[in-house]
Amino acid sequence: MKWESRRSFVIATAALALAMTAPAGAQEAKGKLVLYTSQPERDAAQTVAAFRRVQPNVDVEVFRSGTTEVMAKLAAEFAGGQPKPDVLLIADAASMEALKADGRLQPYKEAKVDGLAAGSFDSDRTYFGSKLITTGIVVNTAAKSRPTSWADLAKPEYKGQVAMPSPLYSGAAAIMLGTMTTRSDLGWKYFEQLAGSAIAVRGNGAVLNAVASGEKTYGVLVDFMAFNAKAKGSPIDFVFPAEGLPAVTEPVAILKTATNPAAARAFVDFILSDEGQKLAATMGYIPARASVGMPSWYPPGAKINLMPTDIAKVVHANSANLQRFAEMFGK
Amino acid sequence: MARLTIEHLSKLYGDFRALDDVTLTVDNGEFVAILGASGCGKTTLLRQVAGFDKPDAGQIRIGDAVVSTPEYHVPPERRRIGIVFQSYALWPHMSVAENVAYGLDVAGIRNPERAHRVNAALALVELDGFGDRRPALLSGGQRQRVALARCLVTEPSLVLLDEPLANLDVHLRASMEREFAKFHERTGTTMIYITHDQAEAMALADRIAVMDHGRILQVATPSQLYREPADATVARFIGEGMVVPVANVEIDGDATCTADVLGRRVRLRHGPASARGTHACLREHDLRIAHGNGVRATVTSVVYQGGHFRVEATCAAAPATALHLTVPEPCGVHAGDAIDIGIDDGWLLPADHESQLSEQR
Amino acid sequence: MRDAHERLDHAALRGSLFVVVAVLSLLPLTRLIWEGLAPGGTASTSALVRVLTDASTWTATAHSLVTAFGGTLVAVVIGAIVALVVTLTDMRARSAFVFFFVMPLLIAPQVVALAWLQSFGPASPLLRMLGAAPLVGSRNPLYSPAGIIVVLGVQYAPLVFLTLRAALRSLPQELMDAALAGGARPFRVVRTIVVPLMTPPLLAGVALSFVSCLGNFGIPALLGIPANYVVLPTLVYQRLAGLGPGVLSDVAVLSILIGAMAVAGILIQDALLRRRDFRIPAAAASARAFELRRWRPFVETALWLLLVVVLVLPLCALVLTSLVPAVGVTLGIKTATLENFQFVMFEHAAARRAFVNSVALSATASIVIALIAIPLAYFVVWHKSPLFAAANIVTEIPYAVPGVVLAIAAILLFLRPLPIVGISIYNTVWIILFCYLARFLVLGLRPVASGYRQLDRTLEEASQIAGARLMRRLRTIVVPLVAPAAAAGALLIFLTAFNELTVSALLWSSGSETLGVVFFSFQQGGDSTYAAALGVLTVIVSVALMLSTLLFARRVPQGVLPWRD
Repeated sequence: MKWESRRSFVIATAALALAMTAPAGAQEAKGKLVLYTSQPERDAAQTVAAFRRVQPNVDVEVFRSGTTEVMAKLAAEFAGGQPKPDVLLIADAASMEALKADGRLQPYKEAKVDGLAAGSFDSDRTYFGSKLITTGIVVNTAAKSRPTSWADLAKPEYKGQVAMPSPLYSGAAAIMLGTMTTRSDLGWKYFEQLAGSAIAVRGNGAVLNAVASGEKTYGVLVDFMAFNAKAKGSPIDFVFPAEGLPAVTEPVAILKTATNPAAARAFVDFILSDEGQKLAATMGYIPARASVGMPSWYPPGAKINLMPTDIAKVVHANSANLQRFAEMFGK
Repeated sequence: MARLTIEHLSKLYGDFRALDDVTLTVDNGEFVAILGASGCGKTTLLRQVAGFDKPDAGQIRIGDAVVSTPEYHVPPERRRIGIVFQSYALWPHMSVAENVAYGLDVAGIRNPERAHRVNAALALVELDGFGDRRPALLSGGQRQRVALARCLVTEPSLVLLDEPLANLDVHLRASMEREFAKFHERTGTTMIYITHDQAEAMALADRIAVMDHGRILQVATPSQLYREPADATVARFIGEGMVVPVANVEIDGDATCTADVLGRRVRLRHGPASARGTHACLREHDLRIAHGNGVRATVTSVVYQGGHFRVEATCAAAPATALHLTVPEPCGVHAGDAIDIGIDDGWLLPADHESQLSEQR
Repeated sequence: MRDAHERLDHAALRGSLFVVVAVLSLLPLTRLIWEGLAPGGTASTSALVRVLTDASTWTATAHSLVTAFGGTLVAVVIGAIVALVVTLTDMRARSAFVFFFVMPLLIAPQVVALAWLQSFGPASPLLRMLGAAPLVGSRNPLYSPAGIIVVLGVQYAPLVFLTLRAALRSLPQELMDAALAGGARPFRVVRTIVVPLMTPPLLAGVALSFVSCLGNFGIPALLGIPANYVVLPTLVYQRLAGLGPGVLSDVAVLSILIGAMAVAGILIQDALLRRRDFRIPAAAASARAFELRRWRPFVETALWLLLVVVLVLPLCALVLTSLVPAVGVTLGIKTATLENFQFVMFEHAAARRAFVNSVALSATASIVIALIAIPLAYFVVWHKSPLFAAANIVTEIPYAVPGVVLAIAAILLFLRPLPIVGISIYNTVWIILFCYLARFLVLGLRPVASGYRQLDRTLEEASQIAGARLMRRLRTIVVPLVAPAAAAGALLIFLTAFNELTVSALLWSSGSETLGVVFFSFQQGGDSTYAAALGVLTVIVSVALMLSTLLFARRVPQGVLPWRD
């Protein structure tokens, strides 16, 4: 008896000593981290797994759904007075702006923003773009003619063959609408023409399905979805329109009510670190820090023309834009 | 065994008086029939006695215990009565034996006494050996008897029967009537028998309560009901009585009088309250064909009924009332003939109908 | 003394039923209405006014009513005809047919809609084979209210079928014999005897499918959004997708609107049922089949063709998609792959957890609800009291409102730890179970209530006379007699809960995923092939579960399993 207890005591002490001499890594965070994200299922799983390799003592609880669902859940939690998440990683900056305006976000002044694309993070350091997701034109390989610009899509010969994500149901599509309607070469006139050719479906996934299955020949789609499907064999091609591509940054932010701010900061650090950015590239996204390298589908040496977005303006004009769009795309 | 006392019982559904000041006493061991046409309130009364509904006024006592008043209500499962429902209400998911044993199971009675009593009950209704069958496979008469056995196995103080023979054919009815009669004799259970069929009531009951529109019109022995109906409704309902107007009544004794009936002077019976009666009740057997000396009438139909004819006729003095009488075979009259009808007897109906709500013994 | 015992039994049972209904049906929606009338804590009618004066609200309401009525009509026609033919005629392979006819309930509505969409579009392999494929670029006819109505009707026909079949099987032969003896041909017998007697279960089916169509999101989302045909559930999503502080209160007001329509529907159903007596005498032998004779091959072919349309088409689309590496790749020997299945089964831990969670949640919900529904329906149908009539109506509401709304209400309710016990069920499986119980209670209640309506009450009265108290009567007489109806309800609940998506989409978190959630994530993220593989696996598991019930078929009372005669 006594021998057993003494032996276990010795073992315990040895283990403790060992633990204390372990190499001190980057600031160790621990405890539970609650993440609400609208990344696709697989990408969210990979992000969390990679984060845990860097911070093994953090238990990550994830809620993953569409941006609409995430925001709805958040809204209910705010109304109930006890928001759960520590960090958010959602698809559009417009929602982040709304949260910031509501005073829900916590600034992280010390975040390492060197090398990040200009305008991809909030000037007050409340949210940071994790990657760049552009929207372009996707074409079924069986198509007889290919559009080379946004304007082409509205051409009468493409009537009834175009699918686009409806901004009424998708924040990212709403940002695209807000961005393109302020341009002089597109504007509302463009959408009036497009209303005759295109149908608005719910979400990018539906657009991909429609074009890949041949139901529609052309679509408006986010880059990574098109390229990931193409890599697996879908009969589609991605076209970079001449006027440029609207982009969203899929920002990450820390909530003011975070119960584990240390782990939350560690998560943001990870996302913005080279390792996190490289992960984004391997998952098929354009990283926010260009220096880590581009995803495999990116034409080498090319410079993709991004449409600049004034996020504040977009948020401001949003409800008017959506109303106008709804009237325009009515039957 | 118990005496059932119903006092001034009333039940209203909105404005509709389903039961209107009903008073009735059934003695220990008596067999009382409640007789009436559909909608007269007899089923409502049964449900009140059983405890499925609560009264709006009045009282029901079983034995000495009050079971129903508007404020106090003993639920059916506590009243220790038995009911044979019109639809038999046999539980389709149980066998005959399980159906019959149910009441015993509830009382916690186990084998061997349970099996013994079930078999005895089945033997009583002559369904020995039917224990394992399912109700769905039995005939109407057999289901009837299972329902009776189920009712009796718990030895209730009072048994209510709700038109039990209504769904059976004529031959079966006759034999089931005998069953009930035998059964009552053997066990002496107080039985209340709801029916619209007079023949059943007359054959089985010690006393009959005639109901109409929620009220009891008369409670009397079958014979009294037949010979001395309390009012015109009872008179017409029982035995197809003919109610005819009378005039110039002369009482000449405690029980007899003479009066002008349809133009003839006739000797009638009367009761204590009949002094100023204006109508009389005539029965079939009170009338006969009197050649030359009787009420003039014209035959409207002659129907053969096996051994005798039923002759219907109308007479000028009371064209609204159809008279009918039986004539043994062979009958010499035909439709359209003029005949004379002799009236040998009749009952002078009491003048004041309300007073007839009291019981007669 | 023993009287008091009886009254206590009664009171205790009624009291607990009230509490259950209040907690499940009233509480979440009251909390949500509170949010609508007092946004952010301060009472104000601003949200009410804003939503009710918006033209789009009323357009969406009109559209909702149109699609709900239309969809119900289609569902009732299909469901009733199939129920009549299957139960009353001598068609062959009846059990197999019923088995397959019920299966579409297992496939998510979005998948059904997607399969139809592909079958009628320019890429349709079927139409291409027939040379009837529409030109690329022509509008798919399914993007229209008519398309929504047809797909809704097809989706919910099994609901009506299940409700009706349980009742039809208790129809006694003598009722139809009487009509046949009177000289009526079989059609006339069905029209004049069977259908009127089947009015309560028929109306129950009508009510169920009306409310289901009203609250359905997946089908109008897929077919209505591209046509800009908005119904109330999709309008709710529009509001949620918008940015702004008034989101929740707007959603609350819209939900009140939907709830009111559902309540109106049930009030009408009750009014229609009140006038007549539909009781069928018990203990009569149940109906023999009508002989079809020379019509038999035609009828059977028609039925199996129907199955092809409602089941085989979507299943094929699902299977084909699950076997290709990416959407749009034509399935061939070279391209076929099992990689999707491999991913879903072995590499994606969430999918495996989701299976377990969904089976457990659906089974628990269906059993618990059946246990609640039996005494609840007893009081609703046999103890006419205004309180229970109100309780009856209130149970409709959590099913009528879109799933996302119920989820939001649950979040508002359970965000904080429960009082007294101090545990929080938020972000666990328990909050999902709560929502399932609240939402699907009506699916269990309706069939059982219609079962009670068909019973002769003297069966219970006879046991009262024999001395049995309430609990014993329920246990020995009532439960066995309504068991088939209760089981029909439980099955309905299981099949619906297994696939459901919109409720758990907001309530799950790591560890408490459901199948619908995982499926939805895959679809949204463009991983339709993974979604399809998951869908196929779901169907296989469910079919296995349904088949396994046949092993217990002997122990289960007659009529409980609709595919076993």
